[in-house]
Amino acid sequence: MLPAIVLITLALAPLGLLARTGPRPLVGWALALLPALSFALLLFQLPQVTGTTQIREVIPWVPAMGVELNFALDGLSLLFALVITGIGTLIIGYAGHYMHDDPGLGRFLLYLLLFMGAMLGLVLAGNVLTMFIFWELTSVTSYLLIGYKHDYPGARRGALQSLVITAGGGLALLLGLLILGEGARQAGVAPNQIYNFDAIIAAGDAIKAGPLYTPALLLILVGAFTKSAQFPFHFWLPGAMQAPTPASAFLHSATMVKAGVYLLARLAPGLGDTPLWNAALVLVGGFTFAFGALVATRKDDIKALLAYTTLSMLGGLIMLIGLGGKYAAEAVVVNILAHALYKSALFMIAGIIDHEAGSRDLRQLGGLRRMMPATAFFIALALLSQMGIPVFFGFVGKELLIEAALSSPLADPLRYAALTAIVVAAVGYIIAAWRLFKYAFLGTPSPTLAQRHHVADPRGMLVPPAIPALLSIIIPLALLPWASQLLAPAASVIYGKEIGFKLALWHGVNSALMISSAAILVGAVLARFERPLAAMPPHLPAWADGATLLDRLLAGVDRVGALITRSLQTGQLRRYMLYNTITLLLITGVPFVLYVLPGLTFFSPDPQLRVYEAFAAALIPIAVVATIRAESRLSAIIAVGVVGAMVSLFFVLFSAPDLALTQLLIEVLSTVFLLLVFSILPARFATLSSNTTRMRDAILAGMVGLLVAGLVLATATTTSFEPLAPYYLENSLAKGKGQNVVNVILVDFRGFDTMGEVTVLLTALLGIYGLLRMRREKR
Amino acid sequence: MILILAITIGCLFAGGFYLLLRRSLVKLILGLILLSHGVNLLIFTMGDGVRRGAPPIVDKNGVAPFNVADPVVQALILTAIVISFGLTAFILTLAYRANQVTGSDDLDTMQGEG
Repeated sequence: MLPAIVLITLALAPLGLLARTGPRPLVGWALALLPALSFALLLFQLPQVTGTTQIREVIPWVPAMGVELNFALDGLSLLFALVITGIGTLIIGYAGHYMHDDPGLGRFLLYLLLFMGAMLGLVLAGNVLTMFIFWELTSVTSYLLIGYKHDYPGARRGALQSLVITAGGGLALLLGLLILGEGARQAGVAPNQIYNFDAIIAAGDAIKAGPLYTPALLLILVGAFTKSAQFPFHFWLPGAMQAPTPASAFLHSATMVKAGVYLLARLAPGLGDTPLWNAALVLVGGFTFAFGALVATRKDDIKALLAYTTLSMLGGLIMLIGLGGKYAAEAVVVNILAHALYKSALFMIAGIIDHEAGSRDLRQLGGLRRMMPATAFFIALALLSQMGIPVFFGFVGKELLIEAALSSPLADPLRYAALTAIVVAAVGYIIAAWRLFKYAFLGTPSPTLAQRHHVADPRGMLVPPAIPALLSIIIPLALLPWASQLLAPAASVIYGKEIGFKLALWHGVNSALMISSAAILVGAVLARFERPLAAMPPHLPAWADGATLLDRLLAGVDRVGALITRSLQTGQLRRYMLYNTITLLLITGVPFVLYVLPGLTFFSPDPQLRVYEAFAAALIPIAVVATIRAESRLSAIIAVGVVGAMVSLFFVLFSAPDLALTQLLIEVLSTVFLLLVFSILPARFATLSSNTTRMRDAILAGMVGLLVAGLVLATATTTSFEPLAPYYLENSLAKGKGQNVVNVILVDFRGFDTMGEVTVLLTALLGIYGLLRMRREKR
Repeated sequence: MILILAITIGCLFAGGFYLLLRRSLVKLILGLILLSHGVNLLIFTMGDGVRRGAPPIVDKNGVAPFNVADPVVQALILTAIVISFGLTAFILTLAYRANQVTGSDDLDTMQGEG
């Protein structure tokens, strides 16, 4: 059933194109049935997924190498799959409303469904290589979605940057996963299991002790940090806000960006809890957590503000995974669900504001509370959850976050760093959320907004964000036992052992509550001074922006590429020949001198050597030098003829009469041709190159000669495979009805080769004929 | 005997490469001719040993002579000789045309009419 869910979603994605016609919102909701069906199917699995058990379905692919399409369902993948299909259902319905007048809606939904299939595959994969394939597919579909409005340069830039960052990280990830598999092999895992998550996690301690752990982990972290927009790779996420809002709400808040978090959470029980793991995750995640929240307090574009709080929260999740421990595992899963609910609602409502009020810039909004009261109500619910105000789901998550930092088994510096990040982020979220609500919904409408007609609550479009916004308050009040049943297995997978936990709203007055209340208080006070705070330094200079730096880096790569191309591609044949010669000498010559030359026997006595053989052999070098030094066309033709004649003589001497005959015939023909053509050329050759160039070329050519001579000596004296000759010798008369074996091979055994040869000659003839015809027409 | 062939092939390759690095079109063609000789002999050495006086011709009963030469490489070279002739003929015609159009043998001055 698991492969079916993934593959059917991918295969049915073209149904999205149906949305090109008809009443679009209705078609959108009809298509939303597809993820809704998957959601229902997955929900039925809930009772079977308890503790850390897995439901596993395998389709073999390359069994010998441990490569297979391997799908597994456990608590963690079920949580993610439910979020993906649940939010996905709402998003597709929402897109039908949001983009009802966009002619490209069909294409957009196609991409969105493809993405959903890829994301489901990612979280349901039971094998790192299967997961990687879907990981890359999400990068590609994300690129298509961000670049959806490809008429705009900004959209193209955002799409390209996200692709460069996430696909670049994907390459690092692939390398890391392969090294990890090798580490698992060294740790004693069966070769056909080395890429399976459960085998890797079971062998975790042995892998951690091995030498491959550190390189594998560093590369995997690069992959996870780029995908989940961690500092310093964070900038692609705000750039990705160029995507249409439904895509932002789905990919860039609830699902794809959590892939890095998902991967680390899955690997945590096996590879986690080492000094490198803890420090990297807590420091990078914690910094991004605080940094994103602070930047968010200064953004005026609603989507940019939400993007920064998103990357901040991703940092928080990664920090939690780094902290380790029971509470951290619980905090991760609770925050994943809470964040997916309130953030998708916020993004969808940001889209509604943009759609209805014509802008999502806080400076051009205001007073929407009166025009869109229902929207104001639902965004308030979502914002309160984000702020972590008591009785909202975000509050439950934040309590666990603080508890995880307080009870973490790590050394004090890391724990305090984590605690600081949590407090800074909590305060930042309050300020950012307050600014959003204040400038968009309170006060009086801006002049541009006041002139706009029909700014009102939408009807159908408000349903999708209303559901997660309401769940943000209903779950903590009424559904906590049910949520615990879903979340406990997920937390158990991250922790590695079964955790039986019951979520509760009220834990009594403990230190977590004190810290959280203090943060709310500080946030509330600081929110009153948000204007001076936003104006306060430090303001990063424009060049320090990651997106600008990446642009420059890419432009630099282009420039270096152009420089190399210009210097290498001169358009002169002899330059190319020169590069090829040098390359040949380097890649063949150097290993030859190092490894083959020492074992070479140069001289073996040959009692049968005849005088005329030595004579023929001596004439060839003389004739070659004569060809090179020839100053007139006639002497060159004679010298080249001597070479050909001596080669034929060799064939006579060394048992190849057919070759000798052919070579002589061809030699005569070639000479006639040469005479014909050279007759129109200048009688004497000009000296075109300088002496130094000639000297350089002579040295290079001499080295090639030495190399080839050495290779002949090295290869002719070794036999590395069974010779083919005996077969032809034995079967020539019996099967080919001929005594001259060479002839039989040519016309019988390898007759098609000869046909190819004749074709080449015919083609050359046609070419020659064409060239000569051109001359006549010219006259 | 393999030493003789090795030296010969080395000389042909060296001469061929030197001429390919020249600016003159005619020398380039001469270089190609030398190189094709070198390659043919190179294939010749790659078979089941180089032998004297035992061509691969079987008698009426289909029995090969003692210590016979390798017929496979000979068949390959036979094809190669003919194809390199086709190539040489084509390039010579090309040089002929190029000389008519540009009036030069110098590859650097051959920019054609376009």
